[in-house]
Amino acid sequence: MVKILMVRASYNPNLYLSYAAPLSPQKAMSMCSSFFPVQFGAKPISCSPIKPQFCVQVAAFSSQESKDELPTRVGFLGLGIMGSPMAQNLIRAGCDVTVWNRTKSKCDPLISLGAKYKPSPEEVAASCDITFAMLADPESAVDVACGKQGAASGMSPGKGYVDVSTVDGPTSSLISARIQSTGALFLEAPVSGSKKPAEDGKLIFLTAGDKSLYETAAPYLDLMGKSRFYLGEVGNGAAMKLVVNMIMGSMMASFSEGLLLSEKVGLDPSILVEVISQGAISAPMYSMKGPSMVKSLYPTAFPLKHQQKDLRLALGLAESVSQPTPVTAAANELYKVAKSKGLSDDDFSAVIEALKAKLQ
Amino acid sequence: MEEIGFLGLGIMGKAMSMNLLSHGFKVTVWNRTLSRCDELVEHGATVGETPAAVIKKCKYTIAMLSDPAAALSVVFDKDGVLEQIGSGKNYIDMSTVDAETSSKISEAITSKGGCFLEAPVSGSKKPAEDGQLVILAAGEKALYDAALPVFDVLGKKSFFLGQVGNGAKMKLVVNMTMGSMMNAFSEGIVLADKSGLNPQILLDVLDLGAIANPMFKMKGPSMIQGNYPPAFPLKHQQKDMRLALALGDENSVAMPVAAASNEAFKKARSMGLGDLDFSAVHETVASGKGSS
Repeated sequence: MVKILMVRASYNPNLYLSYAAPLSPQKAMSMCSSFFPVQFGAKPISCSPIKPQFCVQVAAFSSQESKDELPTRVGFLGLGIMGSPMAQNLIRAGCDVTVWNRTKSKCDPLISLGAKYKPSPEEVAASCDITFAMLADPESAVDVACGKQGAASGMSPGKGYVDVSTVDGPTSSLISARIQSTGALFLEAPVSGSKKPAEDGKLIFLTAGDKSLYETAAPYLDLMGKSRFYLGEVGNGAAMKLVVNMIMGSMMASFSEGLLLSEKVGLDPSILVEVISQGAISAPMYSMKGPSMVKSLYPTAFPLKHQQKDLRLALGLAESVSQPTPVTAAANELYKVAKSKGLSDDDFSAVIEALKAKLQ
Repeated sequence: MEEIGFLGLGIMGKAMSMNLLSHGFKVTVWNRTLSRCDELVEHGATVGETPAAVIKKCKYTIAMLSDPAAALSVVFDKDGVLEQIGSGKNYIDMSTVDAETSSKISEAITSKGGCFLEAPVSGSKKPAEDGQLVILAAGEKALYDAALPVFDVLGKKSFFLGQVGNGAKMKLVVNMTMGSMMNAFSEGIVLADKSGLNPQILLDVLDLGAIANPMFKMKGPSMIQGNYPPAFPLKHQQKDMRLALALGDENSVAMPVAAASNEAFKKARSMGLGDLDFSAVHETVASGKGSS
C-alpha cells in the first residue's frame, strides 16, 4: 500500500499536491521547503497533477514494491445515473480517471472531460491504483467484479477496489473475498443520496471493510460526498444502506397514501404538502417530490425498480435476523404493483400510482 | 381582545392556555377534573364551573378535548356548551375528531345562532408550549379572521381550508402519514440493532439525508433507550389512524401501509402502552411479538 503525504506547495498556499514517488523518506523530506502533514479526509482536496515548476514533492514510502507512480490513478466502473456525475466530480477536481461502462456510449461525456477509457473492468483495474464501481444491483456488481474480464482479474497487491453499489451483505462478502484473494484491498461504500446529491458532490458514504483502504479512499470520497462513515466489517455498510432505504421506501409509500387520500376526500394535495412541510414530519424528500407527485409526474432521480430491489434486500436482511417488518412488507407490495404497471424506470415516487385504480 | 374561554386542560390545552395567558389574554378555563385548573389560576386565569358557564362568560371559546366522545360530551351533555350558545357566541373546536363528529357539533352550534370553526392542530406538547402549532381551520370564515390574533399566539402558521370537515380530514391525513412513518422508523431502528449496527449511527445517517425530519431527530434518541415520555399519547395516535382508515373506507381508497401501521398501534395498546408517547410502538417491533 502506497502512503501519500500531502504537502503544501511553497508557491501557492492554496494548492495541495499529492504525489507518490520512489524516494526514500529522508531524501524527500530534505527536498521539501515546507511540510504540512494533513490528516486524510479532513478537507476535500484537489488532486492536480504535478507541475514541473513546483519543486515541492511528497515522500512516498511503500511497504510494497514501489512502482513508478504518478498521482493516484482512479478507475470508475459504471456510469449510470449515479456513476456518471460521481466520476465527473473526480475528473473536474483534476484526478486521473479511467472509465468503463457496459454501454460504451455512456463513457463519451466523461472522455470529453478528460477521462481515459478501457474496454473491460479488468483492464481498468489493472491500470489503476484504486477502482470504484457503481453498479445497479447485486447481479451486475458481481459480474463486473468477478465475471469474465472482471475487475478482480486486474487486481493485485497494492491496489484497492471500492464498491459503491447497493447490494446485500452476502453479495458484498462474495466480492470482498474474490478481490482479497488477489492480494488487493476491498471496501464496500454504498451511498445515501440520489442524482442531485451525486451531481453536487453531497453523497453520504456508508463504508465498511479494509480500514487502510478507507483512509486512502477518503479524499476521493470527499470529492464526491459531504460525509462518510466507517462502519467496521464488510456487510455493515450494506446493512446500513438497506435500513436507510427501507425507511425511505416506507415513508414514500405512506406519503403516497396521504396524498391520494387527501385528494379523494376533497382536499387539495398541494396544501397537504405545505402542511406537512410546516410540521414535525417535514422531510426534504416530501418537499422535493410532493409537488411533482401531485401532478402525476415522476422524473427519475432514483428508479423505482432500484427502490423495490432495496426493499426486497432489506426484507431479506430482516428475515435473516428473524425480525417481522409488516409495514415494510406492505410498502414493498406497492412497489411490486407499480413495477407491474410498467413504472420501473420512473422515479420511486411513482409508487403512488400503485394505489390508484388506473394509471393517470 | 375579549376574554377567551378554554375547555380542556390536558397536555395540549394546558400549554395552549398558558401561552394565551402569558401573551396578555384574559382566559376562563374549565376542565373535567377541576384541579387541573389550579396552575392556570396561579397564572391569572379564572375558572368556569361548567362548559356552559364558560360560554356564558366569553364571546370566544376554544375547546381542546382528547377524542370525539369528549368533544361531543362537552357540547351536548348537561351543563354543556349548547345550553348557553347563541347569537354573538363563537365556538372554536381544536380537538382532533372525525369529520362527522365535527359536522354534528357545527350543526348544533349554528342552529342555535352561534358561530363555529373547527381548528385541529398539527404539533404536540412542545410546539404547543412554544406557540409553534400548525392550525388547520375550516368552517365560518369570519370567525377564522376574528380568531387570527389568537392563532398567531398559539401557532406558527394557520390554514383556512373551507367547509367544516376539511380541517378534520386534513389533520387525520397528516397523522396517518406520521403514524406510518413512526412504524417505518421503528422497524428500521430494530433492524439496524439486530444486524449488529449502532442505532445511534443510523440516526446520524438519517439526519444528513433526504428523509431527515424533526420527529426522527426528537424521538430517535429516546426510542433507542426504550424511553417514551408522552408528548402525544399512543392511544390518541391509534385513534387518529383508526379515523383515517375509516375515511379511506368511506371513499374506497387503498391504504395498506396505514392499515399495517394501525395493527402495530393496536398491538401496542394491548401491551398496555397507550398512555406512553406514540413512539412506544417501537416496543412492538423490538419485542418481536405479535406483529403479523
